[in-house]
Amino acid sequence: MAKQKEKKLHKQHNALSNGIAYVVLILISIVWLAPFVMIVLQSFRSYNEGGGGMVEYLLPKTFSLDSYKWLFSSESQFFKWYGNTFIIAFFITLGQTAMVLMVSYALSRMRFKGRELWMRVCLILGMFPGFLTMICLYFLLKNFGLTQAGAIPGLILIGVASSGMGYYVCKGFFDTIPKSLDEAARIDGASRARIFFTLTIPLSKPIIIYTALTAFMAPWCDYIFASYVAFGYSDSYNVAVALFRWVKTNDYQGYFTRFCAGGVLIAVPITILFMCLQKYYVEGVTGGAVKG
Amino acid sequence: MKKKVLSVLLVAAMTATMFAGCGNETTEAPADTQAASTEETVDYGSGSITIWAAENVQELTQQLADQFIADNGLDYTVTVEAVGEGDAAGNMITDVEGGADIFGFAQDQISRLVSAGALQQLTGTGYDEWIAEQNDAGAAGAATVGGVTYAFPMTSDNGYFLYYDSSVVTDPTSLEKIAEDCAAAGKNFYFEINSGWYQTAFFFATGCELTYDTDADANFTACNINYASDAGVVALKEIIELQSSPAFQNGSSVDNGTNIGAIVDGTWDSGAAQAALGDNYACAKLPSFVGSDGNTYQLSGFGGFKLLGVKPQTEAGKLQVCLMLAQYLTNTESQLARYNAVGWGPSNVAAQGDASVQSDAALAALAEQLVYTIPQGNYPGDYWTLATSLGDDVISGNLSSSTSDEDLMAALQTFQDTCISYAQ
Amino acid sequence: MKKIADFFKGIGNDLKEIGVTFKEGDWKTRISFLIMGFGPLLRKYFVRGIAFLAIEVLYIYYMVVSGSKFLAKFNTLGTEGTHMDPKTFLTVYGDNSFLILLYGLMAILITLLFIVVWRMNIRENRKEELAAKEGKAVPTVKQDLYSLLDEKFHATLLTLPTTGIATFMILPIIFMICVAFTNYDYNHQAPAKLFTWVGLENFKNLFSFGSAGFGGTFFRVLGWTLVWAFFATFLNYFLGMGVAILINKKGVKFKKLWRTILVMSIAIPQFVSLLYVSKLFANDGLINSYLMKWGWIDSAIPFWTDPMLARVTIIIINCWIGIPYLMLISTGILMNIPEDLYESARIDGANAWQMFRKITLPYMLFVTGPYLLTQFTGNLNNFNVIFLLSGGGPQSMSLSGSAGSTDLLITWLYKMTVNDTNYSMAAVIGIMVFVVTAVISLIVYGMLPSVKDEEGFQ
Repeated sequence: MAKQKEKKLHKQHNALSNGIAYVVLILISIVWLAPFVMIVLQSFRSYNEGGGGMVEYLLPKTFSLDSYKWLFSSESQFFKWYGNTFIIAFFITLGQTAMVLMVSYALSRMRFKGRELWMRVCLILGMFPGFLTMICLYFLLKNFGLTQAGAIPGLILIGVASSGMGYYVCKGFFDTIPKSLDEAARIDGASRARIFFTLTIPLSKPIIIYTALTAFMAPWCDYIFASYVAFGYSDSYNVAVALFRWVKTNDYQGYFTRFCAGGVLIAVPITILFMCLQKYYVEGVTGGAVKG
Repeated sequence: MKKKVLSVLLVAAMTATMFAGCGNETTEAPADTQAASTEETVDYGSGSITIWAAENVQELTQQLADQFIADNGLDYTVTVEAVGEGDAAGNMITDVEGGADIFGFAQDQISRLVSAGALQQLTGTGYDEWIAEQNDAGAAGAATVGGVTYAFPMTSDNGYFLYYDSSVVTDPTSLEKIAEDCAAAGKNFYFEINSGWYQTAFFFATGCELTYDTDADANFTACNINYASDAGVVALKEIIELQSSPAFQNGSSVDNGTNIGAIVDGTWDSGAAQAALGDNYACAKLPSFVGSDGNTYQLSGFGGFKLLGVKPQTEAGKLQVCLMLAQYLTNTESQLARYNAVGWGPSNVAAQGDASVQSDAALAALAEQLVYTIPQGNYPGDYWTLATSLGDDVISGNLSSSTSDEDLMAALQTFQDTCISYAQ
Repeated sequence: MKKIADFFKGIGNDLKEIGVTFKEGDWKTRISFLIMGFGPLLRKYFVRGIAFLAIEVLYIYYMVVSGSKFLAKFNTLGTEGTHMDPKTFLTVYGDNSFLILLYGLMAILITLLFIVVWRMNIRENRKEELAAKEGKAVPTVKQDLYSLLDEKFHATLLTLPTTGIATFMILPIIFMICVAFTNYDYNHQAPAKLFTWVGLENFKNLFSFGSAGFGGTFFRVLGWTLVWAFFATFLNYFLGMGVAILINKKGVKFKKLWRTILVMSIAIPQFVSLLYVSKLFANDGLINSYLMKWGWIDSAIPFWTDPMLARVTIIIINCWIGIPYLMLISTGILMNIPEDLYESARIDGANAWQMFRKITLPYMLFVTGPYLLTQFTGNLNNFNVIFLLSGGGPQSMSLSGSAGSTDLLITWLYKMTVNDTNYSMAAVIGIMVFVVTAVISLIVYGMLPSVKDEEGFQ
């Protein structure tokens, strides 16, 4: 009898605590989604209303595609910039993934003189604010003719060049692949290179996808260095540089709704891609955190 | 080769001086063409020229430049990139050699640009005389640093005045009344008090002074300032009072503003202001205010200018083409074309007299305000950030109506001392 | 200390070996000291010989054509200024201190690299000689190449990444360190004007506390940087863990949906979402407008203009960014906690809070210790959040160098380069950022439970 009552109480208690959990989760969801909903709403505001600037209310009085139409029109270079960013992101993804895999394999699987030193140097380099080196990188790139008209290959080069330093997560993953697999293959006469290509890489799909995904997403947010490298050559802008300019400098009037529309156009594909690959991302992030 | 170059320069300088003497009677470009075509030894070479212009005048500038090249039969290709005035100056300072050959910038950047070696000296080329002849005195003065001319004036409209909603603001001549009306209507009154540019409206109104002396290399040699005075305290108190109004918002961009009742802003925003205020769009000179000492002061401020600069060149032919092109882009016709396209107020005296310019509401308000303003000279970059700090101190309440006069005076003394420390 | 001693011992041994090689070597080897690859060529190891010779020729060519020019001026950073010819009005560019410093450093690095190759050349000679003496065969080129795919595969793998890091990471960082010892500022901008070495002048300025000195401001900015990093790391950590526990609670449905909603904020570029959020919280932004319209407040809440409130706002908005990551991470780790730990705790009559404190938290802290450290140091340099939200403002006259109340060291140094062209001071602050990060890392790393006690939870 008493036990049954306790069970019932327990059940009620559970229902109550679940209810609270749902309320909190719904509140959280609202807070997390609100900015996106707002950006989307603003992007559909008619140009006749507030002239494309900021307004003090959320819901547009008249919905229209003005801002999107403008972005698609020949008046705007938006799709040129969009294309630039995609090209940059694509090649950085390829290069960075390759670099990270190479470094991680060498550091995880092989023991050689200077391995410790290599890792320590990377650790120390990571403590310098890389930010300061922008002006120096600009002049290095300029020396190779990779600024202004050549900004896109320049940005790819910089994006790939020092990416080997971000090996932590991937190396951690490789460390979990049993070494006995390698040893068995070596006894069979396979070279290290062969093991790398035919054994390790196929086993590393999740981490490859994770590395590629993070590499792909970064260039869409690069608004400062990309602006340095393009150096006023508008054909070489990426979307972030252009959009940032629209809202942060005083040279543009009536670009706020366009900024929102542009933001939506960038966010949608990335979000979809991200959602599809979320599983791998979670694995990578979690693995990275646990491995440190 | 050297001899030839020299003769080219002499010819160019002569043509420039010649039509400077002609005044407004002849238009410049044809004069150039004739001079160029009659002189056989002239060889401008060939190459490419990059221009950085604000986004909204990019197309127009390209048209004008192409026209100029075609008229003169030059073997140059001109590319106009949309780079705003702020970015242009920043980029030129980062890397002069990689920068554009001709670029537009706001006058507050001229000393930084000269110091970074990003501007071709014009004094002695003859163009300086043309500039002085053709433009209003303020504009010509703004293009000089330490007595040396460095740029071609493009507009004289880089000042500010009041845009307001005529259904909200009943009396645009009183600062207090504007704030009251806006507050009553639940509208915002924008005044960017944390900008060194807008802030001077108050300080200059009460008779304060802040100017710098520069030498020709854009080194600041002396600072003339008396902010730490009773007049300064009156001005600062008025800023504090305005800030305490519920209608007050710090800002000067129609685009970033919401629910605008009134805004102190410049001509570049006239299109956006018209769009935002609709039928109630109105503009006026800046209002006056009753200071804490009981006197009435008319808000003052800077009269500023936009300039077109030429980057220092290493080739004689290109230098001449760049100078001629910059001159062409700032002559009467080009300035009028720019006014008609985007409403930029000309610095060219003849263009200013044009009927269409005379009838423009925003420019009329600006012209009315101009009487009370001080032509903007050269200020070190540090001044602008320091002024932001002063304004932020007011906005964040570090300096408020409860701050004693002594503390206000102390703050102004710090401000003044820091300003003086920027001059060597 | 031992490491440093080992390092010098290593160099000593190396020098000794070079000496021995010279002393015991034949004339071919000795000439190889000057003409690289000479020995291998005469011993008919052509590929190797030509490779060494080619490197030497390339190096000499580079030094003659470019490197030596910059190296020669490295100690003064240029003497001949840029000037305009007063007759022709043409500009004659003189020395460019910036490029002299940059390419001078490059020449030094390339020379160091060359010395390494030269050392390899010596070793190769020694190896060949010894092999000849013992009558053994030196590995063929083919064998050498194969070893690059096998036991020396790491060399193949690391060549490209190392080159990239050296050129685009190490060189620029050394460059910026050097700038901290020059007077590269508003009054000394290359190429128009020369800048030069000034020793520790800038560091003195950083630690001077007069009205013009940076000292007071530096420590205030540093203080906020540390406070920020602390809250940004730990607030996110605990809240993220809380959200994860909430979503994983038994009986809560649609787990995937909740997770997806949170994760969306990772996918959307920060410069879009944060710029928008920054405007949202402005005095005339949507939040204040609506609160006033509904009559909840009379005057706008100064989210960005009040120094204290701005800091709080930033930390809270940063939760919006950070919680999703921590939620993901915590979820993964929480799943790994052995269920029987909880079971036995429940039998002992522990309540939820006790179980969290005694089991969940220690486990989480143990596993994520190193991650927390990297998060903390990462937050010390979290440029985006500060720059996009508040821009470092509000400023105050009580801070020098245009610093604002929410400026981190990193945003402060950025402003210094962009607004004031004060590169030398920015470089000094950059070095201080490094020092702070390194010190914290060293101290905390030694305290981490997972480092102290590797077996702990296993």
